[in-house]
Amino acid sequence: MLSFLYARQSGLDDPVRLRRAESTRRVLSLELNHNRDVDRIHGNGINTLDIEVIDGRYMLSGGSDGVIVIYDLENNSKKPQYTCKAICTVGRSSRHVHKFSVETVQWYPHDTGMFVSSSFDKTMKVWDTETLKPAEEFQFDGNVYCHHMSPVARKHSLVAVGTKDPKVQLCDLKSGSRIHILQGHRGEILSVRWSPRYDHILATASTDSRVHIWDVRRASGSLFTLDQHNGDKSKTSSEAVNTAHNGRVNGLCFTADGLHLLTTGTDDRMRLWNSATGENTLVNYGKVVNESRKGLKFTVSRGCSPEFVFVPCGSSVAVYGLHSGELITMLRGHYNNVDCCEFHPDYQELYSGGKDCNILAWVPVLRQPDIEDEETNSKRVKHCLYLYRSAGLD
Amino acid sequence: MNRKRALIADTFCLTKRRRCAADSVTGESQADIRSSLQYLVTLFSRKLFNDSLPPVVLKHQLYSLHNDKTSVDKQVNELRETGELLMFQLGFDSEAFALVFAEDYRAKVLQGEAGRGTLGTVEKFLTKLIPSCSDLSFNKEKMLKEFLFTDSEITQLVKSGVLTVRDAGSWWLSIPNSGKFIKYFIKGRKAVLGMVKKSKYSEILQTELEGRRTTSQVKFQMKYHIHDIIGAELVECIQTTSGTLLRYVDGNVN
Repeated sequence: MLSFLYARQSGLDDPVRLRRAESTRRVLSLELNHNRDVDRIHGNGINTLDIEVIDGRYMLSGGSDGVIVIYDLENNSKKPQYTCKAICTVGRSSRHVHKFSVETVQWYPHDTGMFVSSSFDKTMKVWDTETLKPAEEFQFDGNVYCHHMSPVARKHSLVAVGTKDPKVQLCDLKSGSRIHILQGHRGEILSVRWSPRYDHILATASTDSRVHIWDVRRASGSLFTLDQHNGDKSKTSSEAVNTAHNGRVNGLCFTADGLHLLTTGTDDRMRLWNSATGENTLVNYGKVVNESRKGLKFTVSRGCSPEFVFVPCGSSVAVYGLHSGELITMLRGHYNNVDCCEFHPDYQELYSGGKDCNILAWVPVLRQPDIEDEETNSKRVKHCLYLYRSAGLD
Repeated sequence: MNRKRALIADTFCLTKRRRCAADSVTGESQADIRSSLQYLVTLFSRKLFNDSLPPVVLKHQLYSLHNDKTSVDKQVNELRETGELLMFQLGFDSEAFALVFAEDYRAKVLQGEAGRGTLGTVEKFLTKLIPSCSDLSFNKEKMLKEFLFTDSEITQLVKSGVLTVRDAGSWWLSIPNSGKFIKYFIKGRKAVLGMVKKSKYSEILQTELEGRRTTSQVKFQMKYHIHDIIGAELVECIQTTSGTLLRYVDGNVN
């Protein structure tokens, strides 16, 4: 560590190198800390978590009981022991609460004045954070599995919605209407994700085992479909040609730079794709246990040198190296299935929520201070004094 | 007492890297995979099939011998491209691929075809296939145009067992007489998994499992099956002070 600091100070190394090395060290030392807790508000499982991008201070969570809670993650108490308090809740007593389970919540990407939630009661609500009342409500024909707003979009404010209907709907927040439908899938849409690199690229995953990449500016169909065999039609049986997985595809995640896309499927596999060409990079993660019938929410670290993927696997969170495919560690701590996890890039912390109604905060372990030996210390002092005295005499 | 050994990023452990440079896992060459394949070939029981089958190794058995699955996949593909190794889709699992050395395959197929009328067609197919082709299946267009086979020749190839029907107009590459192999393999895998499952707490030390008496269901060597179940992640490998422990993973289909 000191060598890194010295290299940065003298200009031998880029400043980014120290930051990346330290972030990686912190992510590798994630563990449960008894000093950090998250308020337990939900009475039923937690389906989704989202941390806002501007400050990284507020976290939204949506539960199976339709309740939405906002937590303050920042520790202003000057004590190491801190419980992330729930600042406000859209509880069962509110008039506007969702009737059934909330599947996805997302903060408005540009400020925390607004957030959007979608639920199995076939609605998507746009909430005003101050008053906790919905400013807009979109009705759909089937259960809404997921929605996503582009984190980099400046020119448009489209929300992509995936429902039981094979058509992906794009809703416009500015006009409040559904302006676009993307046709191409043949099954329920379990996950949608905008690219963090381009504001017009959208990825959608469905129960028909296919993942489509769309350019929303085009009127015709999708740009391309992800093919797990990279066009080699001979590797598989004829029904499985041109599919991304051998089962339902239920999780999508772009890496932070938007160059790669990760998909998980119920065939217990996770695949890494080049998002520009749609090529399967053939990184083998082994068996990634996936029994989720709805979408799976997983996340990728940001700012580390080998990036890490955090995937909920059963009742623990598995950490894989992104490009090497090796299983680094399993984070165990939940009592029941884990449904969602979210990475806090500024502090390298991981928050995970699951069916046991707990949100667990995985915090990097601090470096242990060196314990100085009392004897050697006093010997050293005596030796120094002797040297000073002898120098003084000379 | 903190029993966990902390994970250290590569960049921070300079001394560790210098020490481990000699036996680094990342510096594997093709020779490693070839030697692992040859070791697994020795575990295959030839006498069981009266020497009519070339030694078959499954791709996921290699995962139990090497840590990095991605590099194993890459090296297997390199060997396939040079024409040294052939890969087959076995049919009982979409992810289970069988690997056979090309010379062994050629020798056994020609040995099996000796004296039959289909020998000429099969030999022609093998000469076309082995040096360059790394496909698992062929469709009609490819067979007729690229390989210049006629319909009757294709029928002869299917009869000899080198091709298996995949669907109308396309065929899998297959090993002749492999039906018996697949049957014994599935039965043996189920029996070994059953042995692990029935143990106390559904876990057993690997050395103890290797020493157990096998039932008549298990025709292959125990080590062959153990590499298979570890590589296919049907059991979890846990390192203990008494050796490797195999714990049955719930939610298996088999």
